[in-house]
Amino acid sequence: MDLRSPSTYTFYMTMPDTGKVEGRGARGVLRFLGLVALGGVTGGLAALAAVGFVSAVLWLNDLLLVSPRGRMMFAHPEWLAVATVLVPTLGGLVVGQLHRAIPEGRPHTPADAIAAVQTRRGRLPPRAGALSALSGLVSLGAGASVGQYGPLVHMGASLGSAGARLLRLGRSEDNITIACGVAAAIATAFNAPLAGIVFAHEVVLRHYALRAFAPVAAAALVGHVIAGEVLERGALFHVVDLAIPRPWEFAVFLAIGGLGALVAGGYMHAILGVGRLAQRLPLATPLRPALAGALLGVTALWVPDILGMGQETLRFATIAGAFGGTELVVVMVLKLAATALCLGMGFGGGVFSPALVIGTLFGALCGTLVALVGGAQDTFVFYAICGMVAVTAPVIGAPLTSLLIVFELTGSYALTTAALASVTLASPIAAQLFGRSLFDIQLTARGLDLSSGRSRAVLEAARLGDLLSQEGVTLRPETSVDAAIKALGQAGHGEAYLVDGQGHYRGSLTLASLEVMREAGQGTTPIADCPTTPRPVLGPETSVWMAMRHLQEVTGEAIAVVDEHHVFHGVVFEASIARAFLRYSDELRREEHGTG
Amino acid sequence: MAPARRSTGALARLVLSLTLLAPLASATTSAQSSPHAAPGAEPLTVLSWGGSYERAQRRALFAPFTEATGVPVEVERYDGGLAALRRAVQQEQAPWDVIDMTRSEAMAACAEGLLEPLSPDIVAPAPDGTSADRDFIKGAFGPCSITHSVFATVIAYRTDAFPGRRPTEIADLFDQRRFPGPRALQRTPSVNLEWALLSYGVPREELYRLLSTRRGLSLALSRLAGLEDLRWWETGSTPPELLIDGEVVMASGYNGRFFDAMVNRDAPIAILWDGQVQEHEVWAIPRHARHAETARRFIRFATSTERQAALTRYIPYGPSRHSATERITTHADSGIDMRLHIPTHPLNAEGAITKDEAWYAKTHDRIGDYFRAALFPEPTEPTEAEPTEAEPSDE
Repeated sequence: MDLRSPSTYTFYMTMPDTGKVEGRGARGVLRFLGLVALGGVTGGLAALAAVGFVSAVLWLNDLLLVSPRGRMMFAHPEWLAVATVLVPTLGGLVVGQLHRAIPEGRPHTPADAIAAVQTRRGRLPPRAGALSALSGLVSLGAGASVGQYGPLVHMGASLGSAGARLLRLGRSEDNITIACGVAAAIATAFNAPLAGIVFAHEVVLRHYALRAFAPVAAAALVGHVIAGEVLERGALFHVVDLAIPRPWEFAVFLAIGGLGALVAGGYMHAILGVGRLAQRLPLATPLRPALAGALLGVTALWVPDILGMGQETLRFATIAGAFGGTELVVVMVLKLAATALCLGMGFGGGVFSPALVIGTLFGALCGTLVALVGGAQDTFVFYAICGMVAVTAPVIGAPLTSLLIVFELTGSYALTTAALASVTLASPIAAQLFGRSLFDIQLTARGLDLSSGRSRAVLEAARLGDLLSQEGVTLRPETSVDAAIKALGQAGHGEAYLVDGQGHYRGSLTLASLEVMREAGQGTTPIADCPTTPRPVLGPETSVWMAMRHLQEVTGEAIAVVDEHHVFHGVVFEASIARAFLRYSDELRREEHGTG
Repeated sequence: MAPARRSTGALARLVLSLTLLAPLASATTSAQSSPHAAPGAEPLTVLSWGGSYERAQRRALFAPFTEATGVPVEVERYDGGLAALRRAVQQEQAPWDVIDMTRSEAMAACAEGLLEPLSPDIVAPAPDGTSADRDFIKGAFGPCSITHSVFATVIAYRTDAFPGRRPTEIADLFDQRRFPGPRALQRTPSVNLEWALLSYGVPREELYRLLSTRRGLSLALSRLAGLEDLRWWETGSTPPELLIDGEVVMASGYNGRFFDAMVNRDAPIAILWDGQVQEHEVWAIPRHARHAETARRFIRFATSTERQAALTRYIPYGPSRHSATERITTHADSGIDMRLHIPTHPLNAEGAITKDEAWYAKTHDRIGDYFRAALFPEPTEPTEAEPTEAEPSDE
């Protein structure tokens, strides 16, 4: 106790029920350093997994005639055409079968990692994580128009969570190691450590705590080092000899941001829309990706640019004159449609890489149009990058990360400033019109609303289950008023719950109303005939958040918990709801404001 | 074995110091008749490219090897291609023990089973103990070959053609506004396509991926088609002549040829190293070689740091070892600074491209068709320079 600072002591005194307060001083420092080391190890594992994943995708793409290099080195055009259709179709079949082994029947994505952290649930399932990674690998390897960063992020998150579980750490640590895995995956894949750190905070943690920052930074750093040692390839954006945009061009960049938000919205809704349409298809779920693969392959016979992640297309879109104006529109629309088709019909994979391509094509289109009315040719790459940021930032809900990726990959301040102009409008407009990110929209559809912040998400995810008590007085309807009053008196409660022989809930009675009956000389009447007090009931799956809302309308001791068949499960005392609320809030406060 | 190896090393060092102090005038003497040759020792037969290249190898590698081991070295002239090797292997009797060949041909020969497998373990570590694995450049070890040196196709320009400015990047080759004047390029798709696409500012690492797309090819070909006053050359000796005669102001060519023109003929030309396309020269042992064991000893000797550094005193080929590159000094005869002329030296290597030989092996004919269709629309005969684009045969 004497090691604690006065402020902690006060805190401890005012919150006696929160149990242990993590110690500061030597032990606290050691604990914290352990967490940082764990972050580094997690980062190393996630980075190696990311490197393996990326290399495997490249290898598969060359082998399966998806990559342009593999296609060019293959000498038989007729077999190439057959492979173009067959490979994504068969890939879809494999993916469909893989998904049958995942409980939800769909691959897990970064949205699942976000949900686990935002609700403090942690504990990402390793089996579903591994299957999802495999599904992403097959999808990308077979040329589906999906992204690689989603699977990488989820893989990193799963590894982090598995590490925390292996070491039997708490939920708080679980959240931090998830963020570590995510940061390392991004740091490795882009070779951009700062972007990795910011992404983990901006998208996954959604709060800033020094306690989380240090392990996440360690993970990103390890990822960066491993990427530098192992991965040898060109930067995502390679920019030489930049011209400086004229002042009026920044106004255009702002406008590109606004328009890009609409493109991003169209992209997200296309994915969700195809997903809804797919539900109505008279085709078994595991076969849907194969259909998408076949359609993709046939289209790719004419426009091979839509196959795979589209890194070559991305590169050409940054070169003035590589595409004609109409060509830009055609490739952009087809890429958007192909991605919506693949993801909506159930291929595994991310949304980021296709968004990069679509956004860059969109920016290139804007640049081409500006050039038509006499704008500059030498700043073409600025338009491409602005378009890219304007589309990707809203999709993943990460304006700062997008900016940092541009900055770390180009080292160009001018380019980053232009991207800033674009993202300034893009992110808020898209958030107003569509939602914070595609992940948030998907989670809302699954019943988790993150728009009011983490405290609500935690309370929404917390179930009443363990607050359930059997201490409430339950009475049969045929019990007499006198007996009921006696029973209540013995138990020391002011409320009783009517439960019939089948265990069905029939209402609740207060001691006061029973006393009124006895005074009126109806002591022998069965309580079934008494007027019951109107009370809301809660389901066993009700969240703590909903229970709190009901409390505002209820005065009394407890609320009955009743399932959908009217079977009585027990009661939840109002005091325990309030206590749970305080406990969750306090845990959150400690996690988000703790330094170690 | 260990003491023997140590004495070999000592001898090699002695030979090196001799080489450094007084360049052996043995260029014309056959290494076979060296006084150190042990009587009766079976000679090692090396297949190499002749000319000044072979003369340099004799001074830096063959004579010192004979001095060190007593094994005389015979040299036969090689002009590229695999036909002779195929015949020899079919007859189960290779007349050579070691072949100096381009990596692309070694890859093809290895795939056909014409070469002995070659383990990276046979080479020596660097003098400071760095393992060979780290000391050799990337891609130096093939299943049947070990890279010993690197030559480059580069752009050279007349130093008097552009008063007040000099080309600094490969894009300048295509910038006839800032650098006006006729150009000369080799009449092959390779190297030209790479440079043309690089001029758009794409990263070197992605060159071959991007050239694999229709869009990339057409961008590159349209850049080449946009050049005015373009001369196409087919033999390696042409571009220095065109530059010296003033017929063109920029020309592509092999770095060894330009070196020769600059040093021996005082030509007013300079090399633009940015975008240099590097190719590997390797040692390989043919299947059924009679002295395979001696051949391995020779390869270990010739790829040692000292020998590689010694070779750079005679000819501007880049050593395949970092430790040898650090030891590059001056030209043995003229005393000029060889660091400025070696493709792999850090001064020059920053913008280097390594030719993707696997890609060319699979796409050669189709790329050639695109190239001819885009740049030589009228029906033309297939060109002569196709079978091998390797430089080493000179003079």
